[in-house]
Amino acid sequence: MRDHLLIHVNGHLHRVEGAMAFQSLSNFLRYQLTLIGTKVVCAEGDCGSCTVLIGRVEHEHIEYRPVTSCIEFLYQLDGAHVVTIEGLAYGDQLNPVQEAMVRCHGAQCGFCTPGFVVSMCAAIARGETEREQLRAALVGNLCRCTGYEPIIRAGLEVNPRAMRCIDDIYPPAPLIDSMSAAAHEPVLIHADGRTFFKPTTLAGAVAFKATDPACVIIAGGTDVGVQMNKSLRDPRVVMTLAGLSDLRQITSSEGMLTVGACATLTELERSTQLCCPELNAMLRRHGSPLIRNAGTLAGNIANGSPIGDAMPALFVLGAEIELASQGGATRRVDINQFYTGYKTNVMRPDELIARVHIPLPSANELFKLYKVSKRHDLDISSFMAAFHARLRGNVIESIRIAYGGVGPVILRLPKTEAFLTGQPLDEATMAAAGELARTEITPISDVRGSADFRLQLAENFIRRFHAEVTGSQSLVASRDGNGNGRVR
Amino acid sequence: MGVIGKDIPHDSARGHVTGQSLFIDDMPFARNELLVDFVGSPVAHGVIESLDLQAAREVDGVVALLTAKDVPGHNTFGAVVKDEQLLVGDTAVFLGQPVVLIAATSQPALRAAKKAIRLTMRPLPPIFSIDDAIAANSFLGGERVIARGNVTTALASSRHVLEGSLVVGGQEHFYLESQAAVAFPGEHGAITIHSSTQHPTEVQSLVAEVLGVPFNHVTCIAKRMGGAFGGKETQAAQPAMMAALVAARTGRPARIVYNKDDDMRTTGKRHPFKSWYTVGFDDDGLITALDLKLFSNGGCSTDLSLAVLERAMLHSDNAYYLPNVRITGRVCRTNLPSNTAFRGFGGPQGVVNIENIVEEVALSLAMDALEVRRRNCYGTGTRNSTPYGQRVQNNTLPRIFEKLSVDADYFQRRREIDTFNATSKTHLRGLSMTPVKFGISFTKKTLNQANALVNIYTDGTVMVSTGATEMGQGVHTRVRQIVADELGIAYDAVIVGATSTDKNHNTSPTAASSGTDLNGAAARDACCKLRARLAEFAARELADAAAGLDFSREHVQFQDGMVFDTRDPSRRMRFAELICRAYIQRVNLGERGFYATPGVDFNRETGKGHPFLYFTNGAACSEILIDRFTGEMTVTRVDLLMDAGQCINPGIDRGQVVGGFVQGMGWVTTEELKYDDAGVLLSHSPTTYKIPAISDVPRVFNVEFLDNPDNAVSLYRSKALGEPPLLLGISVWTAAKDALSYAGSRQIPRLQLPATVEQILTALTRQTGPAAPSTQPAIRAEIG
Repeated sequence: MRDHLLIHVNGHLHRVEGAMAFQSLSNFLRYQLTLIGTKVVCAEGDCGSCTVLIGRVEHEHIEYRPVTSCIEFLYQLDGAHVVTIEGLAYGDQLNPVQEAMVRCHGAQCGFCTPGFVVSMCAAIARGETEREQLRAALVGNLCRCTGYEPIIRAGLEVNPRAMRCIDDIYPPAPLIDSMSAAAHEPVLIHADGRTFFKPTTLAGAVAFKATDPACVIIAGGTDVGVQMNKSLRDPRVVMTLAGLSDLRQITSSEGMLTVGACATLTELERSTQLCCPELNAMLRRHGSPLIRNAGTLAGNIANGSPIGDAMPALFVLGAEIELASQGGATRRVDINQFYTGYKTNVMRPDELIARVHIPLPSANELFKLYKVSKRHDLDISSFMAAFHARLRGNVIESIRIAYGGVGPVILRLPKTEAFLTGQPLDEATMAAAGELARTEITPISDVRGSADFRLQLAENFIRRFHAEVTGSQSLVASRDGNGNGRVR
Repeated sequence: MGVIGKDIPHDSARGHVTGQSLFIDDMPFARNELLVDFVGSPVAHGVIESLDLQAAREVDGVVALLTAKDVPGHNTFGAVVKDEQLLVGDTAVFLGQPVVLIAATSQPALRAAKKAIRLTMRPLPPIFSIDDAIAANSFLGGERVIARGNVTTALASSRHVLEGSLVVGGQEHFYLESQAAVAFPGEHGAITIHSSTQHPTEVQSLVAEVLGVPFNHVTCIAKRMGGAFGGKETQAAQPAMMAALVAARTGRPARIVYNKDDDMRTTGKRHPFKSWYTVGFDDDGLITALDLKLFSNGGCSTDLSLAVLERAMLHSDNAYYLPNVRITGRVCRTNLPSNTAFRGFGGPQGVVNIENIVEEVALSLAMDALEVRRRNCYGTGTRNSTPYGQRVQNNTLPRIFEKLSVDADYFQRRREIDTFNATSKTHLRGLSMTPVKFGISFTKKTLNQANALVNIYTDGTVMVSTGATEMGQGVHTRVRQIVADELGIAYDAVIVGATSTDKNHNTSPTAASSGTDLNGAAARDACCKLRARLAEFAARELADAAAGLDFSREHVQFQDGMVFDTRDPSRRMRFAELICRAYIQRVNLGERGFYATPGVDFNRETGKGHPFLYFTNGAACSEILIDRFTGEMTVTRVDLLMDAGQCINPGIDRGQVVGGFVQGMGWVTTEELKYDDAGVLLSHSPTTYKIPAISDVPRVFNVEFLDNPDNAVSLYRSKALGEPPLLLGISVWTAAKDALSYAGSRQIPRLQLPATVEQILTALTRQTGPAAPSTQPAIRAEIG
């Protein structure tokens, strides 16, 4: 059992011991290594100024992904290679992204710029060079000066062939073995009254959790990290499941998608591209690419927020949560029975989420997901709706509706569902159902919207669902009508 | 070949893209340096009952705990009126107002000390809203009036009269670098302070006053800011004073860097406004009279609120001639952090009022709003006098309307939208073109001055420093271009030094879009003096009696790093060589320049004057798409046309236009400040406060400059561009209002600003609902 962390930064190995292991990556970079190009603005993963690349060994190569370093903690990074803005220049030369950003006035005050450069380098290295791809790749980076248009222009001006991949700057050969070895070694650190454990077997993880039920499990850390930075939470015992490579898997068979607890939302997004485009589209609005490169579906479920973006879909699809406990025991719980109240659930102290099983909608079923947020992207939902229905002719044979952001937990609408079952899918029926839907929810007024707003949306989304599944013509018309506009 | 007018990258661009540019918290820690934080008032309004620091004092690593009684000089300060306290003496007037300063050796020690401080306060009734402040007669300063003609008579004889009110929200600056400062104690009470400030001179003087030392004991250095937008004009001073106080009391360097949440919770924002208006107009939409009452929410102290209100009033005409007009304004005193400068400085709040009114006039006459706008637009010979008496000269507004309506295909798109909205069950489109006429100059006459220092070194390189601070807007780049061209040397031979009060004294804030106009002119003045002196010297060096070339300074030219005699350009030497010879011959190679804007003045009492040197004009045409079921809005196409005169740097100017527009778009759409009943700001970080993201940028986004060589009054015939483009974001809001007018029975939609998803859905529901009120209630009577 190792008692320290092994982390590479810009090609150099760092041994991190004791209490140092518990600090955020951005603090480590800025104040220990004096890599001040990484800026911290929000300390909650919501602005991207601290973006760095995290490289991990996957299938015999190092996969680099941009993440927000402010909510990434060193203990999550054992065996990883961190590449910062300082590590992306070609020696004394600017790289093509940096050159284009200079030429196109992509930087004004300069505070967000390193984050943009890192995200853009990662995007272009992945071959994402088109306007829409760049817009999607950079959505987690906020800029207050430029209005973004010069940054997009810079991205479009980069010659992708002139870009060197990260492996060219940091040849994997000397890195990959030590990274891989470190990643597969268990780590246990005690310092200043805190404990960190990185198990390498599920049995080890479950056993550790059983000994200390207060242990907080960190997968991506995108929720817990924010809470720690904002002094809302200070866990004394932390465990990451990063060493359990089995739990990174996503598999699909016979209409069932099985998602390991450590699979990132980015991996889930990729896996749903073909098998469930509707879910895929929703995942693309989940946080930002920087968040999805760290966050996990299991983390979303364990956090249990009633405004978690992935939640309503899982409710109408009847996803099952696989819980592992000691002695290799597992049980599956329907997500509809999982929560007992605001952020409380049926998990026993010695259990942890191992996998999520999602039955995918079949081609003859209607499956629609909606999200309303103050800003289209990089925003948590004010309101979410999920519909899963089967029609026979024009009659609703069965329907499941789940709303998020309207109560302490995600709510199914049993009365509305019962009312609609067997009814024709027409405007009058749906309007009546909309009014009924209002009565089944208990929204509050908060920073993201008033109760009245949410009640109105609860009603309108039933009508929106109807309009969309029956009259998609008008939606197409609006897209054509304004040439380049988009319909949300 | 000169560099003025060239698209040259920002002078820090290379450092920015490599992460090498230094901001305050990037400076290396000095030996013994302390970290500073504070504990603020837990109530928005209340009196300190007890304060127990004992437990905090015992925290390991805590070096000092300071309260109001530890301030050696003045604890009271203010940019205009001294009505703010650095540390609460007795009564706190906003939530989070600093009570105790903590200095410690580490972040954990700071956190532990914060937890250990026991502060109890007796709450007093707070006021947060404009309505409550009006009811309680709680104001800062008196009522201001700008008036012309006889509004009462004109309204009585107007063919149509419309009344209404408008609620306009505030805006968080969201500069990415939060407020920050580092103070270094020097000898004999001196302090050097590095501050992320737009106004080094004010930091210098306030730090001196809080420490009780003469101004010449304090040096303030401002290398650059990670964004400011007005938020660091006055309010960078508080953290600077805190760091300085700790440095002075402990004798150790002290650093304070606000976290984003504290920054958003405890610093001021763009002023929210509420207004009531009565407008008279004829059948053609021509405005005959306007009575407009503006109220701003100033927060807890005066700060710049009176000047912001004044600019709002001076911009309530925007592009329109108002024959009979009465604009009154008052600043409400509330228990919020003192609201402050924000790009536009009241201008946006004034302009949105008249644009809203024009939109309603058009709707009530079933006319196209663009027609109403063009009809009321200031003329080029007649109908060109503003309510405060200044004539609109070199008026490009009619040309801008004409050109943009063609370029943006306005009328064709209007017809398409009419058809679309009549048929689509799911969406509504809206289209609007709004202009801007922004007055350039500080309305406070004194501030329209600047000085510059230009030093030429013996290798022929030049360092220029001015009072202009760099916040990303590119003022240093422009000053470099100016100095390079004026001395006829390469751009790379010039650098701009960090702004510092020991090089440039008594500087004005870099604000009011005037950074380049003022400081560039001062730098040019210094260069002209140097050039004259060097021409004299060069004329002697180049003169050759044998060749028949007598001494003639008029024939000396500086160009491309060379100095030559225009009568025989082969008689030349390198600039560096000339400088070297001049040094040996004891010629003064440094110079100060000065500039004071001529002819500007404004009388606050009469509301009359000539406050602006010129106007920067432009227009935006925005189209939006609204989901009828949810209220979600997408900006689908934007066309901008700016009259920037002759650009000094078209690339940087374009950046100001695009960036300003998107910031304005954020103000009118997604940026919403939400407070709870106790005055707690709920939207205090990017998770809950939503500035535009990259995906909010319209997919069709055309930006063009109007060719205008006629702005002879300003530096190289350029026009200031820092603030004006922000006001073009208003077109997105009026486009939303336009779209909503198509819902239901084409009534005048009621819409607040920002037009959030919720606001739009509420307006949609009201427009289409069974019990929608037909017009806005007339609330004028309540105000009297």
